[in-house]
Amino acid sequence: MTALLQASGITVSFGSVQALAGVDLDVRAGQLVGLIGPNGAGKTTFIDAITGFVPARGRVMFDGRDISAAPPHVRSRLGLARTWQTIELFDDLTVHENLAVAATRPTVGSSLGELVLGRRQRAEQHADDAVALLELAEFAGRMPSELPQGKRKLVGVARALAGRSKLILLDEPASGLNTAESLDLGQRLRRVADEGVAMLLVDHDMGLVLNICDEVYVIDFGHLLAHGPPGDVRRNPAVLAAYLGGPADAAQQLDGETAASSAERAGEAQ
Amino acid sequence: MSEVIGFLLLGIGSGALISGVGMGVVLSYRGAGVINLAVGAFAMLSGYFFWAIRSGEFASIGTVPAVVLTLLFSALLGVAFELLVVRPQRSATPLAKLIAALGVLLALQAAVILAFGQSAQPQPTILPAGNVIIAGVPVAWYNFIIAGILLVIAVVFMALYRWTRFGLGTRAAAENQAHAMFMGLSPNRLSLANTVLMTVMMGIVGLLSASITEVDSQTLPLLIVPGLAAAMFGRFTSFSVTFVAGVLMGMAESLLLYFSTESWFPTNQGGPIPGYDELLIFIVLVVAMFLRAGKIPARGDVLERRLPAAPVPRAPVRSALIYGAIAAAALYFLPGGFRGALITSLISAILLLSLVITTGFLGQVSVVQLALGGVAGFAVSHFATNFGIGFPWAPIMGVLLAAVFGLLCGIPALRVRGVSLAVVTLAAAVAIENFGFGNTTWGGGVTGSYVPPPSLFGFNFGPNASLHGLDGIEPSPLFGWFVLIVLVLLGLFVCNLRRSGLGQDMLAVRANERAAAAAGINVQYTKLLGFTLSAAVAGVGGALLAYNYGSITADSYDTITALALIAFAYISGITTVPGAIWGGLIFIGSITAYALQDWFGIQGEWFTLIGGLLLILTLVQRPEGVATAMFYGPRPSLRALRLTRRGGGPPGGSQIADRVGEAKVAS
Repeated sequence: MTALLQASGITVSFGSVQALAGVDLDVRAGQLVGLIGPNGAGKTTFIDAITGFVPARGRVMFDGRDISAAPPHVRSRLGLARTWQTIELFDDLTVHENLAVAATRPTVGSSLGELVLGRRQRAEQHADDAVALLELAEFAGRMPSELPQGKRKLVGVARALAGRSKLILLDEPASGLNTAESLDLGQRLRRVADEGVAMLLVDHDMGLVLNICDEVYVIDFGHLLAHGPPGDVRRNPAVLAAYLGGPADAAQQLDGETAASSAERAGEAQ
Repeated sequence: MSEVIGFLLLGIGSGALISGVGMGVVLSYRGAGVINLAVGAFAMLSGYFFWAIRSGEFASIGTVPAVVLTLLFSALLGVAFELLVVRPQRSATPLAKLIAALGVLLALQAAVILAFGQSAQPQPTILPAGNVIIAGVPVAWYNFIIAGILLVIAVVFMALYRWTRFGLGTRAAAENQAHAMFMGLSPNRLSLANTVLMTVMMGIVGLLSASITEVDSQTLPLLIVPGLAAAMFGRFTSFSVTFVAGVLMGMAESLLLYFSTESWFPTNQGGPIPGYDELLIFIVLVVAMFLRAGKIPARGDVLERRLPAAPVPRAPVRSALIYGAIAAAALYFLPGGFRGALITSLISAILLLSLVITTGFLGQVSVVQLALGGVAGFAVSHFATNFGIGFPWAPIMGVLLAAVFGLLCGIPALRVRGVSLAVVTLAAAVAIENFGFGNTTWGGGVTGSYVPPPSLFGFNFGPNASLHGLDGIEPSPLFGWFVLIVLVLLGLFVCNLRRSGLGQDMLAVRANERAAAAAGINVQYTKLLGFTLSAAVAGVGGALLAYNYGSITADSYDTITALALIAFAYISGITTVPGAIWGGLIFIGSITAYALQDWFGIQGEWFTLIGGLLLILTLVQRPEGVATAMFYGPRPSLRALRLTRRGGGPPGGSQIADRVGEAKVAS
């Protein structure tokens, strides 16, 4: 079975700094793939490159099409959605409208109907599903700025889900969440993936990534360090060296990271 | 050839004045992050002050003490401007700051007209007379003196910003106000010093300008357009580039003046075509924008307020029926003057609806909307007089033409946004007014262009239709009803737009272009479509205005009115349909203005003055606009009002925006 996303040789340079150097990464339909790496490894840049927000060299194949040269909105319409580390909701629209924007693409016909006759276009089933899945119904009529940080993160994820996406690139969805929220989010993401939506999960929360992902990629300084099932990656010496500088006690620490790092992060976000 | 050199030199003086205004813009931007549209108006005010204390209007004192007093006055003006406008707006968005400066421009202009009248005053010059013959052309000495003085000022400013602690502090505060505060610099004091420097320099420009032009309420304030072009070449930061660009523009204008006497120069009605220099400035500005605008440094402010919220309309059809019925009755029963003013109000509301689309939904400020209305208006006039095409085809084609122009004006919006776009559309408005409408072939010139009343199947429903109001006087309520129906339909259209997928896309683009693209929105297409729709609405307004006037001139759609339109839109609420309608009811020439004049003898200029001041107050106190707050906001409680008075924080919807700002600072 061919992969839904086939990124090969993704290279991004900012001036003389090479942020990504020839990274290859595949995601198959319905798969939950993790992308981890230390700070500054190029994780967010990778998402930007795949979704078309930074100029990149290399080839991006999505759903059997070469989208390397397509602008962001075209990639999005093909079913490639993303979230942002900084959430980036539409602050002027309600939560429901935020999802509706992603779920419906106005056409000339639908716009004419809406503008002249005042007929409301029904928000797509996908938007309602996303709301139900992430339990956001009670917030649907509110403005994003009225929601707590954790809920805003979920709205970001829901917006990505609402767009009939085949693959969602999630940029640190668990940062700012406490341990319980993070675990909860992990379960929900797993459930979405099981329904057939593939996901690439970038996060610092090693526990979250290693526990729920089918496959994990590790990058450091723009280079691919390792990839494979979470169990293998957990014990890969190169990965341990990059993260902690030494293999001896690192494996334990990686195992124990779930609680500690989530709690820490919850503290940071305050 | 030698004459060419002579004329180039002749342009140095007026070019240096452009440089002066441009450097004032740079100072305002570096000091306070304002694209200050009022810079030229400060020069005008100082010029008037000098004239008034020299000529005997207030006093007649000697040149030297008068100069000193004028500069003192300029400094005080700077202090007042800083305390009343710049400081309360420090945390506002660049766009809100620009609109506040626009309020100052309108208020100062109106104040000067109220105090000294419309006609130009012969301001006594302070520079020696006399010419020097260069290349066979007598060139007045003052050209070189003015350029010399402003060159010295430019050099002093460069040194000040590069090498002094004050300059360093200003640069630090522009980069990051919070860091500057931690370094022990007071952004307040730095900003005050920069503002006073700016107004004193504009005082000098006002004094020097006496050699070139008489002092009036138009010339110096509108020097802001070429001044902005010069400043844009300097990326709003470089004094040297701004100075050189200004002088070169002055020389180019002078050269064009020379060419305009040549036989090959295009003519209109026996004279050289009007408005060619405004067109030149517009072209220069567009070139500057494409070369430099992307590199204008953004300022790092502590927190940023956004555009006011654009709530979903509640029960628009019911409101339309109720208020529409009241207006329809008023159009019949009101006496003639009031009826005419009500019709003007309704047309203004249509023009304001076009601003709701561009600014309220798309988040872009466009000054060119009224000029686009003019395109449709003149099209209606010329289709009728030249080709015998009347209602409804003439206005339909006029509206389509306006939409095409709007599409063209939307193209810069793909490259620049926010304040830069406002600047470009301002220049476009001035160019269209002077070059397009000033030309008798496709515009109206000064004499005017006839607009036949609208009629369908021989049935006239123009302002002079046979059915008169209750008092038997024109204008006919038939025309009023026609305008009312159009307004109601367009109002409902804009309400539908807000609820439609397309309108949601626009608001998504307004909120966050990156996230909009990630959600599958084609940002460029959405912007262009928004500009085109908005231009079409403006076109309808412009065509109705033409029918209302019966004869239109270039002044019918002038730029100052366009700026006032934006001011009143902000006052009443630029993001909603009720905002546009209430804006129409209080605009210049509106029924409110008429009532105040009829009952209390309050002149129209007072209205602009109050409008300008009200705008500044609105931006500080009720950024969402009065009507929007009234219709959608939480009812203002006594507590909220008391908080506002104590300056404890802006009420209503802006609290949300503040919270967003705080979150941004925290993260």
